[in-house]
Amino acid sequence: MAEYDFERLSVLIVEDSLFIRSLLINSLRILGVGKVYAVDHGGQAIDFLKKVKNDPMSAGTQEVDIVMSNWQMSPVDGMMLLRWIRRHKESPDRFVPFILITAYSEPKRVTEARDLGATEVLAKPFTITAIGEKLVSIIEKQRQFVHTRDYFGPDRRRRIVPIEFEDRRKLNDKSPGVEIVRG
Amino acid sequence: MADPKGQKVPTIVRFYRFRNRLKEKTHGLGGGTGQVSAEALAEAEKALAQMAEDYPDWVSGLLVKLSEKHGRCVDTPEHRREFFEEINEIAHDMKGQGGTFGYPLITEFADSLHNFTTIKNDITDSMVELVKAHIDAMRAVIRGRVKGDGGEVGAQLKETLNQAIEKYKGKK
Repeated sequence: MAEYDFERLSVLIVEDSLFIRSLLINSLRILGVGKVYAVDHGGQAIDFLKKVKNDPMSAGTQEVDIVMSNWQMSPVDGMMLLRWIRRHKESPDRFVPFILITAYSEPKRVTEARDLGATEVLAKPFTITAIGEKLVSIIEKQRQFVHTRDYFGPDRRRRIVPIEFEDRRKLNDKSPGVEIVRG
Repeated sequence: MADPKGQKVPTIVRFYRFRNRLKEKTHGLGGGTGQVSAEALAEAEKALAQMAEDYPDWVSGLLVKLSEKHGRCVDTPEHRREFFEEINEIAHDMKGQGGTFGYPLITEFADSLHNFTTIKNDITDSMVELVKAHIDAMRAVIRGRVKGDGGEVGAQLKETLNQAIEKYKGKK
């Protein structure tokens, strides 16, 4: 198997703990990520992303390929940032893969993150292997984005599981009301 | 989209299916599944282990800072509010990573310190004393390298801190 070359990748880290932040920056650099940007909290991330959109020269990059963000931060936490990225009209890329880093690992929290459109959840305390796995998953298993009345984000159905009961999914690609955007 | 009778049907769901640009960026157009360089992973693990080793020193440095702020709260009561804000920030920083490096007790105590220094009303002498109780508890964790829940030692440290909290609660 060929090894990835992360040299052209640009990652934004959003983490308020100085120690964890330098740990993440350091790890990504060692893994070969070409551009690593780091900010303190969600508010700064939003400012940075707006800058990428409006003034890429001064931001130093034309795009952010992956956002890795802590959940619990103030004043703007990871979930508020995720909501902004997915829904705000000023967001430079509503489809950007988003890794939510959190010490909350209860199923309820993970579901909450998923329903807001997080691509991956990285549990704290994390290992380097776990970071590597999340990167591989984002690259290899890109999921379609789904936009319904109450959800916008990567397809929450990740696995193909046989259905034992009546299949309640009534729509397919050809059904009226289903629109497919390719790009 | 039109239904068989030619009427417009409102969109119920929209699927976005994009070319995998990240794969093109990191893996070229060669196809096949890639992998993260094992060598780089090992090197990053080593760096993490190194940081974990440095972690107690880093916490000790912050504890020195906290002690200094505490001393100033005692010496110059009129400036307590600003020192409490600084203590609050340091506590927030500390609580974020204890668990990652095997010291959940630091996270727990820093969380408690962070919570009670997030205040709007007057800062009493008791509160200043309580800052000290938290610093002492965290110092004991680091000095004894009390990892995980700390077993009996951990339980004892928690108990001591809780007693201090009870003692100063409601006091002026």
